[in-house]
Amino acid sequence: MRPMEGRPTDGDLFTRAQRGDKVAYEEIVRRYQEVAFRTAYVITGSSADAEDAAQEGFVKAYRALATFRAGADPRPWLLRIVANEARNRARSAGRRHQLELHLAERFRPGDAAPSPEAAAVAAEGRRRLLALVNGLSEEDRRVIASRYFLELSGEETAAALGIPEGTVKSRLSRALSRLRVRVEEGGGA
Amino acid sequence: MPEIAELERSLNQLRESIEWPATPTLAGRIMARIATPARARRPWFRTQWALAAAVGLLAIAALITYTPTRDAIASWINLHTIIIRVNQLPSPSPQPSGPLGKRLGLGDPTTMAAAQGKVGWTVLVPAQLGSPDEVYYQFDAPGGEVNLVYKSRPGMKASGYTGVAVLITEVSGKVDTNFFGKMLGQGTTIEDVTVNGHQGWWISGQPHEVFFADANGNFRSETLRLASNTLLIDEGVIIVRIEGDLTKAQALEIAASLS
Repeated sequence: MRPMEGRPTDGDLFTRAQRGDKVAYEEIVRRYQEVAFRTAYVITGSSADAEDAAQEGFVKAYRALATFRAGADPRPWLLRIVANEARNRARSAGRRHQLELHLAERFRPGDAAPSPEAAAVAAEGRRRLLALVNGLSEEDRRVIASRYFLELSGEETAAALGIPEGTVKSRLSRALSRLRVRVEEGGGA
Repeated sequence: MPEIAELERSLNQLRESIEWPATPTLAGRIMARIATPARARRPWFRTQWALAAAVGLLAIAALITYTPTRDAIASWINLHTIIIRVNQLPSPSPQPSGPLGKRLGLGDPTTMAAAQGKVGWTVLVPAQLGSPDEVYYQFDAPGGEVNLVYKSRPGMKASGYTGVAVLITEVSGKVDTNFFGKMLGQGTTIEDVTVNGHQGWWISGQPHEVFFADANGNFRSETLRLASNTLLIDEGVIIVRIEGDLTKAQALEIAASLS
């Protein structure tokens, strides 16, 4: 479907890029660099490694454009390539980082203006929950971050984590159960 | 025990509060790579280049656009330390609560003797300040990192952000100045100094971050925790960093008394 404003769809861009249109590929990079970089960050836990992986992934994806099946969803395809680069970096010796997510504590202009006490309580709840997520195993943390924080679909999460789509569900379910136990123990969230 | 659905709701709400590292602008570099034919093997300097670029991106808001040339890329291969200015103060709020080591990210509280037992160098203490009020050991820094905290000393006022007068950090690594000039933003000045025959740099002005090659040769970045003036000394095996609301003369005196 082509939007009225003439902004090409992702599918259009991929078709054009497959025909060698570099401008189209540049637009693809712009559209996907954030999700690609953050996915790589979830895997590597390091923004330098994530940047390296995203960059290398996009270059490899360009060279592999011929393998992209027209009409398929490009997001999982791209994320799989970038995530693969990210996993290679995460594995390489001496470059181990642990993903640790942080809260943005700044005031957002769109926020309702709660009482300072209510804001403090809400912030404390978020901090505690995120600390519990950070305390989970790497496997649990990655699947939770992919699904809830990056909002990846099941297919995209499977691509990002390099596991079958069916495994995403069971892994997520186990991760949530473990998180729930910790929330209960810690009295958080 | 909370329902899973409730937990999922909380996680979805948490999403908006997550602070992700800034997404780098990749398009230009990717398109430049694509413009050249694929190589059988990636040249080893590409990774270093990408790392250096990542480092640079952290400072992008504070810097005038800088387009690396081939020569600059070549110089990055030997890059060990970059000092840059950042816009945000390292500490989110003045005088945050909680133990000092935790809120400044100094590591675990320890003693001088225990810290000495964990690192491969002789931990230096400035005779001028005497024994530190607190000692921290940062285990996740390759080669280790020791932090000496001085809460207050005559003539040295505590930082308005942290309540610390002087923070001395000793970390295994090496300094190289290739990028000092290029990466420094406005409002931060850097001066070459010599301390007991060792090369050093006096960095004053705005808060900044330090980038250096750690014991494994990997880049590490560190926010200067006190957001104040800093003296950096390359002692050969270790880098010593002295931070505080200090004058240059005070910092040099402290550095000269390290032993």
